[in-house]
Amino acid sequence: MRPLAELKRFAREGARILAADPELAQFEIYCSSAEQLVMRLNYTSDIPCKGVEECKSLGADGFAIRIVPRSNPQEIGAGFVAGDLSADALREAIARARHAAVVDPHFQGLPDGPRRLEIANEGPNDLARTPGSRMVAAAWEIVDGAIRAFKARMPGNERHGLVLGGDLSVTRDCFAIASSNFDGIRAEQGAYFSSSVTALVERLDARATASAVGSSMAELSQIVPPLGREAVNRAIRLGGGEQPSPGKHRVLLGPQPIAELLCYLIVPSLTTGSFHAGNSAYLARFGETVIDERISLADEPAGRARAIVRRLTCEGLPARRVELIRDGRLVGLLSNHYDSQRLAADEHRADKLGPHASADIQFPAANGYRLGEGGGRRFDSMLGTAATNVVMRTHGGLADRELIAAVGDGIYVGRVWYTYPINGQRAGDFTCTITGDSYIIRDGRIAAPLRPNRLRINANLEEVFRAPIAVGRRIAPITVWGSPEIFYVPALAADGISLSAVGADA
Amino acid sequence: MRERDLFDAVEFLRREGEALLRSFARAHRGVTYADLRFETVFHRSCVANDGEPRESLESEGASFGVTVWADGAGNFFGAGQYGAEIGALALDRKRLVSALRAGLEEACARARASARAAGTLRRRLGAEAFGAPAAALPQMPAERDDVPATFRDDPRTLDPEALKRLARDASAGARGVSSAIVYNVVAALTELRRELFVSTAGAAITQDFAFSQGDCYVVAETPQGHQETYDSIGQQRGFEILSEGCASELQPNPDLVGFAIEIAREAVDLANAPVLKPPAHEVTVVTDPHFNALVAHEIVGHPSEADRALKMEAAYAGRSWLLRSPTVNEIGNRIGAPILSACSDPTLEGYGHYRYDHEGTPGRRVMHLERGIFRGFLNSRATAAILNAEPNGSARAAAACYVPLIRMSNTFFMPGADEPAKIIADVEHGYYVCGNQIPSIAESRENFRISARRVYEIENGRLGRLYRSGSVLGDSRRFFMNVDAVGNDLRLIAIPNCGKGQPMQAKRMSNGGPTLRSRARLAGG
Repeated sequence: MRPLAELKRFAREGARILAADPELAQFEIYCSSAEQLVMRLNYTSDIPCKGVEECKSLGADGFAIRIVPRSNPQEIGAGFVAGDLSADALREAIARARHAAVVDPHFQGLPDGPRRLEIANEGPNDLARTPGSRMVAAAWEIVDGAIRAFKARMPGNERHGLVLGGDLSVTRDCFAIASSNFDGIRAEQGAYFSSSVTALVERLDARATASAVGSSMAELSQIVPPLGREAVNRAIRLGGGEQPSPGKHRVLLGPQPIAELLCYLIVPSLTTGSFHAGNSAYLARFGETVIDERISLADEPAGRARAIVRRLTCEGLPARRVELIRDGRLVGLLSNHYDSQRLAADEHRADKLGPHASADIQFPAANGYRLGEGGGRRFDSMLGTAATNVVMRTHGGLADRELIAAVGDGIYVGRVWYTYPINGQRAGDFTCTITGDSYIIRDGRIAAPLRPNRLRINANLEEVFRAPIAVGRRIAPITVWGSPEIFYVPALAADGISLSAVGADA
Repeated sequence: MRERDLFDAVEFLRREGEALLRSFARAHRGVTYADLRFETVFHRSCVANDGEPRESLESEGASFGVTVWADGAGNFFGAGQYGAEIGALALDRKRLVSALRAGLEEACARARASARAAGTLRRRLGAEAFGAPAAALPQMPAERDDVPATFRDDPRTLDPEALKRLARDASAGARGVSSAIVYNVVAALTELRRELFVSTAGAAITQDFAFSQGDCYVVAETPQGHQETYDSIGQQRGFEILSEGCASELQPNPDLVGFAIEIAREAVDLANAPVLKPPAHEVTVVTDPHFNALVAHEIVGHPSEADRALKMEAAYAGRSWLLRSPTVNEIGNRIGAPILSACSDPTLEGYGHYRYDHEGTPGRRVMHLERGIFRGFLNSRATAAILNAEPNGSARAAAACYVPLIRMSNTFFMPGADEPAKIIADVEHGYYVCGNQIPSIAESRENFRISARRVYEIENGRLGRLYRSGSVLGDSRRFFMNVDAVGNDLRLIAIPNCGKGQPMQAKRMSNGGPTLRSRARLAGG
């Protein structure tokens, strides 16, 4: 990775060159360097394996520019160059941006927040300097712990189909941005880790996952190595599960299913872009109560004790907390600069927001990011809207034991997958299968494990969030495969959720 | 020395790469194998929204990935990988070589650290902790070849205004279909990619690819309802397939403007259609080639990937209903009706065409289902060794900086003898399910719910009312076993973004099939 100082130096020099171009009315230069280290786990007791399958990394550095000519304030050109922070490369980027320029009648200029901004930069944390070989060792500690736990709990049964998968990933990035619309160079760097470890004991038909996120080597050293052991122990406890009949059930959705619903259905619906496009599940309901009044939802990019900390967006604007749902009422939307302007000027804005939206409501551009597949800041990604730490809080929330008691008879769903808006985002219909970490609840207590991969949920967001039986108090951090956000969410219990059988016809 | 053309870096490494790898292996004790993948990409794209240009991009990139194997104690080897997007750095030969050497050093350090840790663990827990030892990897292919791309309009010399104009016209065309079209986005891209694979085993392969793709997303709103519809067209060709369409027999597509208008009309029809209220019981379903493309993708292709079948993807994308263990699996067993066959074939022209995979193995047709009998998996060299099979050239990465995974190529149900019209005409009561939208798959893909774009009721052999928000819900084996008609109308569909791996790699491929008739339950909205 390139040091932040080098990015800042190039941003400053690039800004000087662009500012001297008499044909340009506005410009922006964004430089980033990012690396993702991924140690992928693959231990299979009955199949030859490597244990740690891949010890790999993916890095990229470079810069992107956006330029607006004096000849037409609605013409915008963009270009990027990887791997070269030089004046030659900047000239190449300008030429490409001119080739690519389009006249967009809805473009109203580059972000123009405060000209001066003081951002506390805490400097790189120690994850930013951790060598790959240290990560290899940490990944092997997970595997070691898992195999030891398995041998201890199931002695003499090495061939019982233990499968251990998942990864330990570290994402580190830094960026610097300069713009004709604000003074100086704005820059930030960060690093965080996430690890998700899944254990399957195939002879027991059991599956469990343990996961962790954090932002320091101390945390990584403390909470990552035990994940293999935790996943295996939990999987063994889940053996010999029951298979309830399909039909309508009371269901307690744990933090992971709630995170999946947020990731794939709710958060994409809470953007200015989705309201403009008319595909939000909450279209025309801004200002209304859209979910249960005990629930609030916010994006907290710089919250304390969060794994990812961002103080600046990739547009150089302050990354502020955005309150999305307050006590069940839709009060805010995630946005980038272009989408904020676009919705503000939308002739159908009032219809799209709905009758309860105030006429002068503004949606600040607090969420404009250029994120790669791994979540780090990437100069070569298109600018879009993303959350950082999605936090769901509840009032009147119950402790875990009370939640289970409130369900009475039902199912605790600890893990689902393939949770998609099956009939489009606006419809709110979703389906997914229950893959592990789940239990039968009887008489208000956990009574038995649930066999994994035997039930499919077919439901709608309204059925889950509109009038839940009970909401949880404890918030857990959850990562979702392929998503850059981290979700801090509680469990939630709902009645009348439709479950169909998987494999019933076989 | 700084060169002018990034694509020349491939030629440079074609000459110098093998020597670089071999000298690195000689200088590092315990290194038994190393390979280098390098690529340059020229990309041009444009997005239009509601008939107006929205954004456009012209870029040129270069990236590399290296893999190093290092021996550890007890004959246990470790592998390390390093990947980077280096872009214009590749224009400077000295800096390029320096970056490659640094990548090899880092990959080697990881491989050695992993081999050491594995050795320690084996000594502590016993060798049996790692299961049966893997069979020796098959002999490294040492292919040497140069494969050109096929295109008429070179993406690099295309007038950028032509692409912008086309995207804008297509978006305007969609908008003009009806006032019910409340939003649309049309994207067009054309790119040229040159890939290099060299290894210490003697392989030296360059492959060029041209990709052109159009994507359309439309939202329609009528007093009766709301509909979001999207689809893509794509070919391994130049801009001509977007501006003029493509008359390929297997994978035809209209021009981008016609395609966008077609999607918009369908969205309006669907917004006016009622939501499907399905019967509670299993019904006869006739599924069209577009819908079957997603069935082939999710229920045949993905579970036929050997890494998934061997549980290597268990924590991400699940396992496979086709393999319990290397010795207990469905190979040779009946999993479908005798009239149902399916394969993957990278040698066919399609979005998933290639000649060599990213381990240097020639790609070839792999039969998955042969008259209902499961025949085999897509594999890499390592998984082929575990399964005691021949490598079939299916390990591919989305870009050189990513690690190759086992991926589909052109994966499809093979055609039968029946006329599609007769397949429908023979149904007394059932449903005709057209076009795929969203899949949701059980953990081992033994069950699925896949939503369709359009569902028509069939009454006495004739198509009746159109419904929206319909899905087919079924168990995979039962659905395949119940197939009683296979059409002669095989079509491949371009799939632009199949996600797999960590970090996620989005890969292009083709899927498809002919019209099929089976039985399944339906779900509505």
